[in-house]
Formats: sequence, C-alpha cells, structure tokens
Amino acid sequence: MPEALKQQLNDVFTDALIANEEALGEVTIEVSKENLLDVCRKLRDHDELAFEQLIDLTVVDYKTYGQDEWATTEATGVGFSRGREESQAVNQPWQRERFAVVYHLLSISLNQRLRVKCFVEENRPTLPSVINIWASANWYEREAFDLFGVLFTGHPDLRRILTDYGFVGHPFRKDFPLIGNVELRFDAKQNRCIYEPVSIEPRVLVPRVIRKHKEQTVYVAAPEQGGRDA
Amino acid sequence: MGLEDKLNSDGFVTTSIQDLLDWARTGSMWPVTFGLACCAVEMMHAGAARYDMDRFGVIFRPSPRQSDVMIVAGTLTNKMAPALRRVYEQMPEPKWVISMGSCANGGGYYHYSYSVVRGCDRIIPVDIYVPGCPPTAEALLYGIIQLQNKIKRQTVIARNSRRNRDLENNSTNASDTRQGSDSEVTNA
Repeated sequence: MPEALKQQLNDVFTDALIANEEALGEVTIEVSKENLLDVCRKLRDHDELAFEQLIDLTVVDYKTYGQDEWATTEATGVGFSRGREESQAVNQPWQRERFAVVYHLLSISLNQRLRVKCFVEENRPTLPSVINIWASANWYEREAFDLFGVLFTGHPDLRRILTDYGFVGHPFRKDFPLIGNVELRFDAKQNRCIYEPVSIEPRVLVPRVIRKHKEQTVYVAAPEQGGRDA
Repeated sequence: MGLEDKLNSDGFVTTSIQDLLDWARTGSMWPVTFGLACCAVEMMHAGAARYDMDRFGVIFRPSPRQSDVMIVAGTLTNKMAPALRRVYEQMPEPKWVISMGSCANGGGYYHYSYSVVRGCDRIIPVDIYVPGCPPTAEALLYGIIQLQNKIKRQTVIARNSRRNRDLENNSTNASDTRQGSDSEVTNA
C-alpha cells in the first residue's frame, strides 16, 4: 500500500515534490515552503488522498547532525564508548537549511498515513500556517514556535505555550544549553521568586559503557571520588 | 497503666497544654493536595485503602486554607514554582512541608534541565525529605510519621510573660538563662 500511495502522490503533484520516499512502510514527501499550502490543501481535499487529520507537527534541528555530544572526547580508544553502533553518518557539517518542519498526516477514510517535510532557513525561519487547513495545527505551531523559534505567518495567536512566562530563547535548538541560562529561587527580601544566572556546570548525560569483550557489555556509573578499588 | 484504665479508675487525666496541642496537631495533619508528577500516584496509593493514611488523621484537602501540611509530590518546574509558593503562603500557621521524591528534593532526574527547580527548598522551607524515585507508599507513610515525631518535639508555648519580663530586666544570671530560653518560642 505504501507504494500505491507513493505513486498516487507522484501522479497528483508531479513536480511540486522535492522528494518522495518510502522507508519501513512509511511515505515521506518533501515540499518547498512556497508550495506548502497548496500541497496541504490538496492532500486534504483530493478524493484519493483524503488526509483529514493532522496528527503531529514538529521540527527537526539539523545543526549538529551526525556530530553531537556522542563523541567520546575524554575517553581512550579502548576505554569506553557511549553504547551505540558507530554510524556511517558523514562527519561533515549539514549542507542544507537548518530546520525541517515535519507534518504527520492521517487519512481515516482511506487508512493511510503520510509525512510531509518542509525545510526552512536558519535566519528568521518562517512558514505559512496550515491552521486554515487543519485546525489542530494551532497549538502544534505554538509549540514549534516556543521550542524552536519557527514563525508561522497567519497564525492567530502565536504565543509561547510550554516554557515559563518571559522565557528567553528556544530550548530545543541544538545551540541552547541544556542547563539553560537562568535558574529560579525564592528571595525572602523581595518576597517573590527571582531568576538568577545558572550556577551549575553543564555535563554530558549520555551513560558511559565499558566493553571488556565484544560479547560482554558492562554498564557502570561514573567513578566515585576516592572510592574503593573495583 | 493505659489511658483507658486511668480514666476508668480516676475519671480524669492530667497533661500539659503543649502535649495536648502536639497530640491534636499530629493526630490531624491535613495535607493540601499538590501532586505534580508520578510521585502523586504513589501519594494516592498511600491515601487509598491498603495503606490508608486516614488512620493517622491524614485527610487530603482541596484547599490550602484548610491544610496543615503540604506534600510536594513531583517535579517542580520554573513555571509552577510561583504558584507553589502562593499556595504555601495561603496555608494557615502552623504549617509543615514534606518534600517527596528525588525531583522535589534536589531536581533528581531533571537536575540538569533548563526548566526545573533544583529542589523545592529553593522555593519553600522543607521539614521532611522523603527519598525515592518515586518513594513507595510505605516511604511516604514513614515520612509522615517522622513529621509527627518532629512536631511532638516542638515547644511553641511562651510561659508566664510577666516572669519573662522580670528575667529580661535582671538578666545575665547564669541559672536564669536556661529558664529564659525555655520560655522562648523554640523549634527543636
């Protein structure tokens, strides 16, 4: 069935699709942001597609794609790893636009699903809102704006939805520090909760894995200060 | 001799106001319901039929104005912290706080997060810390009993204010100092 859907999409949209792929039984198409609204409207209204429902809308930040904190900079080559397969991902910077906005669609009547990708540039990422096509996009787009800073033109109420009132920055961007920039405490003199610059050091939270043999993998905690011999 | 035997034979018992107050306070600690995360589910277990915190006079209240204890059960986020503080301030004195679980104690799993308070004692004063992730219902129950013990140790009644004034006027007598400190409001 994914092949049929893929063929159907090719027939309907012809040259509007930048990419049209099927992997693991799931179809993904990519469109330019100029074509996004037209394609989405046709995806909903076309009788053979009929994607009535927007299941999810999210964003991918490709800034550090393939070269992340997984790198074991402090380890020897044989000491420990991060407990994952060495990927074949090329260790070179991402060449395309930084953000990809991803739409997950469901057709209840035809029992089929589709993923739509649309890349936007790093500098002031802006997309047309699909809120007039799928009403459920309202809070999804607010979430994407809050966490990634992607702007949706035509959205009636593009406010932050999850982070604190007055929050600065977009925390799901790869260049946002995990520990944040500020921390909260109650101040007895001012009789209110105040923000202060963060007081802790960032730390890689990916667990370390010691490999004694290829077959045997032992998971250990970080060594204690002045602990006993193993 | 048990209390009932004494009542049956003598018809009365004697105690101090302090002991009576402590007995009353430890026997009816009403917590304000402040479940924030998975710890709240464990708190519900402690309140439900098997562990049944009603046996200790612990009855959950929907309003801070009827409460003596606040159980901070779960992850306290930056966004929730001012609301937590406000609910705490709405509770009448005397009031106590139980911090339940790793997240409320010190941030726990989310210690390195940009959006989580690293321990609810940065926002409100805490009396009892219950460790665990989440703590079992037994652990929370043990924490409540520990809080009862703490309350029983408190002496909050100022005795005989006229004698206190005399002591202050005379002052600097070593033997009087102890009596003076006894009558102050202390928090053991």
